Amino acid sequence: MKNITRISLIFMFVITSGCQDQLDITNPNQPTPESVRNEQGIISLAQGALYLNGFQGTKFGSYFFAIIVNYHERMGDIVGSPFVPVELYSPDRIILDNGSTSESINAQGQKNYLRSINIPSSQNNPLAYEWTFMYSLIGAMNSVLANVDEISMSIGKKNTIKAWAYFWKGFAYSRIGSMYYAGIINDEFNTRNNVYVSKSEIIIEAENNFSDAETLLVSLSGNADYQNVIDALIPSICKEGKGDSPTIAEWIRNINTMRARNILVNTPAAEMTIEQWNKILTLTKNGIEMTDNTFTIRTDDQGNLLPTNAYTAAQAVGPASSGGGGNKVSERLIQDFMPGDKRFANNFTQIPVWVAPGDRGVSINTRYLLVNKGKGVPEVIIMVNRDIGAHELYIAGSYEENVLMQAEANIYKGNIDAGLALIDELRNYQGAGLATTTGTGLTVVQAKEELRSERRVALAFRGFSFYDARRWGILKNGRTGCVVVESNGAINTNATIRYGYMEYWDVPIAESFYNPPSPDSAPIVNPD
Amino acid sequence: MKANDCRFMKTALGFSISTKIKGLGLGFALMLCIGAAAQDRLVQGKVTSAEDNSPIPGVNILSMGKAVGTVSDVDGIYSLQVPTSTSSLVFSFIGFKTIEVELGERSILDVSLEVDITQLSEVVVTGTGVPTEKRKLAFAVESVTTDKLPIVPTASIDQALVGRIPGAQISSISGTPGSEMSIVLRGINTINSGTMPMILVDGVQMGATLLSSIDPNSIEKVEVIQGAAAATIYGAQGANGVLQIFTKKGKSGQIKIDFSMGFANNKMLNVGGVRKAQLHGFTTNYKNEVTVAGDTSTLLMLDPATLLYNSNIGYDPLNPSVKFDKPYDQNLQYFDHFKTFFVPANTYNTSIAVSGGSDKTDFNVSLSKTRQESTFNGSGYNDRTNLSLNLGIELARSLHLRTITRLINNKNTINVEEKQDFGTGIIFGSILYARPFADYNRKDMEGNYGADYGEASSLLQFNPNYQWQYSSTLDNKIDILQSFNLTYSFPKYLDLDLLYGINYQDRNLRHEVQNQSLNQNSVNAFTWSYWNNDVDNTGEITTNYNNQTFQNLKTTAFLRFDFEKDFNLKIPIKATTQLSYDYRSDASKKYENYALGMPVAPPLTSIQGTTFGVYQDYKERFVTFGYLINQRFEYGDLAGVSGGFRSDYSSAFGKGSKPFTFPRADGFFRLSGLDFWNNSGISNAILEWKVRAAYGEAGIQPRPFDRYVTLGSRALGATNALYIPADQSNANLNVEVSKEFEVGTDIMFEGLKGDWLRNFQTSISYWTRTTENAIFRVDAAPSTGVGTLLDNAISLESKGLQVSLNASMFKGSKVTWNLTTNYSQQNSIISKVKGDEIIVGNRILKAGEPVGQLYGWLMLNSVDQKNPNGEPFIDPSQQSNFTVASNGWVVNKSSKQPYITPDRYGLGNPNPDFMMTFINDISYRNFLTFSFQVDWLQGNHLMNYTKQWMYRDGVHSDYEKPITINGETGAWSAFYRGVYNNTYWDKNYFVEDASFVRLRNVSIGLDFAKLFTIQKINRLQLVLSGRNLWTITKYTGMDPEISSYGANTNYSSRNSLFRGIDNGTMPNFRTYQFTFFISL
Repeated sequence: MKNITRISLIFMFVITSGCQDQLDITNPNQPTPESVRNEQGIISLAQGALYLNGFQGTKFGSYFFAIIVNYHERMGDIVGSPFVPVELYSPDRIILDNGSTSESINAQGQKNYLRSINIPSSQNNPLAYEWTFMYSLIGAMNSVLANVDEISMSIGKKNTIKAWAYFWKGFAYSRIGSMYYAGIINDEFNTRNNVYVSKSEIIIEAENNFSDAETLLVSLSGNADYQNVIDALIPSICKEGKGDSPTIAEWIRNINTMRARNILVNTPAAEMTIEQWNKILTLTKNGIEMTDNTFTIRTDDQGNLLPTNAYTAAQAVGPASSGGGGNKVSERLIQDFMPGDKRFANNFTQIPVWVAPGDRGVSINTRYLLVNKGKGVPEVIIMVNRDIGAHELYIAGSYEENVLMQAEANIYKGNIDAGLALIDELRNYQGAGLATTTGTGLTVVQAKEELRSERRVALAFRGFSFYDARRWGILKNGRTGCVVVESNGAINTNATIRYGYMEYWDVPIAESFYNPPSPDSAPIVNPD
Repeated sequence: MKANDCRFMKTALGFSISTKIKGLGLGFALMLCIGAAAQDRLVQGKVTSAEDNSPIPGVNILSMGKAVGTVSDVDGIYSLQVPTSTSSLVFSFIGFKTIEVELGERSILDVSLEVDITQLSEVVVTGTGVPTEKRKLAFAVESVTTDKLPIVPTASIDQALVGRIPGAQISSISGTPGSEMSIVLRGINTINSGTMPMILVDGVQMGATLLSSIDPNSIEKVEVIQGAAAATIYGAQGANGVLQIFTKKGKSGQIKIDFSMGFANNKMLNVGGVRKAQLHGFTTNYKNEVTVAGDTSTLLMLDPATLLYNSNIGYDPLNPSVKFDKPYDQNLQYFDHFKTFFVPANTYNTSIAVSGGSDKTDFNVSLSKTRQESTFNGSGYNDRTNLSLNLGIELARSLHLRTITRLINNKNTINVEEKQDFGTGIIFGSILYARPFADYNRKDMEGNYGADYGEASSLLQFNPNYQWQYSSTLDNKIDILQSFNLTYSFPKYLDLDLLYGINYQDRNLRHEVQNQSLNQNSVNAFTWSYWNNDVDNTGEITTNYNNQTFQNLKTTAFLRFDFEKDFNLKIPIKATTQLSYDYRSDASKKYENYALGMPVAPPLTSIQGTTFGVYQDYKERFVTFGYLINQRFEYGDLAGVSGGFRSDYSSAFGKGSKPFTFPRADGFFRLSGLDFWNNSGISNAILEWKVRAAYGEAGIQPRPFDRYVTLGSRALGATNALYIPADQSNANLNVEVSKEFEVGTDIMFEGLKGDWLRNFQTSISYWTRTTENAIFRVDAAPSTGVGTLLDNAISLESKGLQVSLNASMFKGSKVTWNLTTNYSQQNSIISKVKGDEIIVGNRILKAGEPVGQLYGWLMLNSVDQKNPNGEPFIDPSQQSNFTVASNGWVVNKSSKQPYITPDRYGLGNPNPDFMMTFINDISYRNFLTFSFQVDWLQGNHLMNYTKQWMYRDGVHSDYEKPITINGETGAWSAFYRGVYNNTYWDKNYFVEDASFVRLRNVSIGLDFAKLFTIQKINRLQLVLSGRNLWTITKYTGMDPEISSYGANTNYSSRNSLFRGIDNGTMPNFRTYQFTFFISL
């Protein structure tokens, strides 16, 4: 009997110990954190940190260019949409030509709506999205920065990767500081920092990152490693049009355009100081030039970067019978085109009045559709091309943005013709076919209107309209002289839209619930 | 009373059988073992079953006075030399009533044994390791033989078990053919790993094949143990309980042939009478013709070429003057989409089994085929073929080999969008929410269907006919289950048992989407059918290859000692030591490739694509092994205790990791085994009374790669980029520890003396259990760069009561009526969370709340209603703007929209307060049977998202219901549309009591073989049955029993947290079925 027990126990022991090797199972499907500890790995992560962590997907949803840019352009009234969250982009009140008020679907106003849905749950909280995309980008770049010095590779390569990481962190902080009332400066992946700082401090942090990037770029001048690394960082399919690898000088000009943007979009136009305009002038003069490369993203056949329908302009194209896809072209965009603008002729088509169901609000009713690939008017830009890889989307700055900021600075400084000349230059560049404005003796007010209209048109669908509406006081004071299509099809041409939108968003509770602010934190709720 | 210990009575399965013969004071077997005394005359005969006259081998036959005894052979034949003085013989066999027969002068004595319906004599093996009579069990084991189970149209064992296992919540959550059921045994013990119990087939774990794939015709019986106290012996995976299936074996004797054929007609349930409004509130001209929005001079028209409406519809549902009061009688007609797409469908089942055996071998081979068509018109069918072979051989004396083979071939053509494990029911949902004037049967001028008719007919629509026209799915699955069991019994002390099982599944799913670029609707509406190709309408072929190999090896040694016999001690103690080692390995692969850009003309092959890619290439392996030491002592028939521990290694923790060790213990005491009991009058009223208790712990391991931190990778153009996945694993995850304690009692009462209520048996178990360190995916602060993190974040507590009552209601000369009542209640709460609360989707997890608690905003029933802080929800200064509408809800007088609170509150528990099942079996003589089963679930709630979306789109029939608000009566759309308020989802308005009483099953059978006593045919029976024929519920959705996916979850039936949501999931169906049985 003893033997039996002994034999059994020995037998079990043998089997048990023999099986220990079988426990050695690792996940064979995905790269591990070890995979980035070499040159190729760190470049791949630096690439994915931008295009995938930054723009492709977070836990709250996919495609920055579909979700975030759509929010901006819907709130900025470039497009409207009957899709959720409709309340986010439904004006608080519309006063029609006859003085009557069109009831809003936002009974409590958009600000209250945003506060009512600002709960920790991920679902249906628009406040959480841009925050999460941008901190996902920052977190991934922090991981790149934490690893890059551990790898044996040339200093030139390391510095190019670091410049990339700092630049994009600067970009992400720029977006956070330009959208949220407060933010968090975080230099370490997967670590909490509970000190919230004000939006202006976030913009300063953006500038710190830009200047770190610039310093590194300057040091890389003439370094052959730069070209190799930047070529590897930009996906092959983006190296079309303006998307090819920038030279060091071009990149620095991109930084300057971003710096100018941070000043412009975060100061109400009426409160801009002459120093600020001078700064913008200096920066934009050293900003992106007409032939410069910049950073772009394109659609691809697998939707890994961006599917063909996941950006604002693509969604404004739609069945002729129903007023467009998920986005409806706003009447307020169309009315901003100067008469005879070939960009309008080439890109839009008029349809019978299209009216949304009343529960989606009247502001999205429209008579216009965006035309895919344009109507073939020669020499005129097309605003959307849904073919795979055909549409160029700017991630950071562009020549158009830069030249318009420069024009605006000139006009606000009183150099009207200098400003108008830049507007004319841009209109020619886009094939607008409009008469030259320079030297026509426009007043400052008229010049500002040219500028306003041109920013609306030239930068349409690119995500600037919310910033502009905010700094021009339109969110707060509303817009008069609006074209509005009523539910009964009546066309108003002198309606007033009181948007009433929250100008800088509260910190999403999806953040503050999991990362409660420290006592010395800046306020995280916009007192407005 | 002494226990038997007759090793020569081993059956081929290696069961040791011990029985008790009531009223006799000594162990017969012991006497048998000792040998016989004087032998004066020979008695011979045959023992058969009263049920089907088949011979019963192994029947224990003893002379009265216990001097001599024998056992019947394979043909039921026995012969026994008995002393002249012997007046009677006692015949006993497990599962049959023991009888004593007067011998008289006879030398030939044929005996027919009746089946013993008393459950306490039943022998079970699950949870005990060794075959044990229920009366000696220290915990609850439910067992049910398949002949007692209803015939179900899906021919799946999980469906058949609904309501049959006291304590188990087995529910059908989707009517899509081939869907899995949800099984919750004792409470919700883990969230990470779902509620599914471990499935054992003849002792080996089935880790790859779905329970629903197993052919019920090949199953003899099912045993269920429900919690860790009993299931710990099966290792960590047993924490959710164990459901064990036993395959039918051949019996020695003549070859037996069983054939059955069934036909069923199924129709989707719609117990709440869900339908779309037949009236509308659209803008019309003076002729009641519907005009386009914004232009009353243009009628809404469908373009026959593109199948797109010419513009949007004039519809202003929040306008307080809009009423749903116009019929569809002009340019727009009402199409009943439910009638078009929800159609009756058939199920066909055929099965043949041949079985037999000799004294050394036995076999049972069965073949069955079942085909189930979907009740969603055009979405496909599920076709399953099962072949099983159970072969037992006695290789040498005491050395038995059993091999059981099952082959399952499953062909499923259900469109991938409707599949439970791939799609999300999008197509089914699109029909629920489309406006009823869209004619989805319409074809364009080229004969093609349109997918999207424009926003006029629905914001989110997809015509199923279009989906079926352009896409098809073929899902082929082959399952192999093979097990070998070798048992050897030494003459004394030691039994060895070696089990090895391999379960392999190969699944190959191909989804083909044709090029739709010639379809004018697709071109103009920018919409198309796709699976991976969301880029354009040029089609695709996607092929998904999955395989899984699950292996389970178990070696067990049982050491048995009988203190009386083996050591000549005068104490009736028996000791059994179980030493087991088992090893499990699970390896799976998933591979999916696609070819996009198909030519216009079929047939299509992947090679014709213009873009190719691999969507998935994934391997997973998991190994766990461990050993069990369990010691059991029995004191006669009176009491028993056992205790032991189980120690497991897991590959989730890697090489060199320490094993996790968990203890268990149990004990029982039979009050009715005490002398005073038998000597007193109580024994006449209470025949049997046992109390029992058990405790066990189990460690639920993290899933295979939960502890391995990885990066993501994706092709961006010509190169691959790495990224940080939003959902992070956690290298510090620990094992979840589940602890269970159960107490129970089993009692058998003597009933009335007449035909009515002759006896009752009841089994009552109360259990509590806790899980600490339950793994949950928790949100991280986005600013850390991390989305979510797996963490040991939650502790859970559950408790419950389960009761079963079996009664012989009536037993007359012709009619018998047995009633089984099962009752159970259980609740699971969250006892602890990391941090104050965890938010997931629209749920809030916090300590003290039920698991799965529904959350949301409130609509009020009185204007001055107060919140939990005692303050009125509506500021008193504003209350005059509100009134209570005639339907009881507080609404704004001018907007007519309901008031909705700004804060959220708990809205209801999706888990039932209790469940009850009543099973009645009635037979008239031996040829007519009638049975029915009624299931009652009380207190469960469902969040009716289906209704919510139908409110959003203004299609629900409620919109027609007039209500009075502030003196104005009408079918005000502002109220209904206001209930669906996008800002605040999840409202109390949509949380409904989904309690129900359901006539689960009713069947009537007529056996012509018995009616006309046809020779050589044992059974020639026609059974007519119905399933889900009748439901009483207040629930207003289609089926109170469905439960859909929740947000942030992957797979509904295995998800334990997001219960209680009805979100456009296909309901169960009502079935009428004919089945024909022939047994030779």
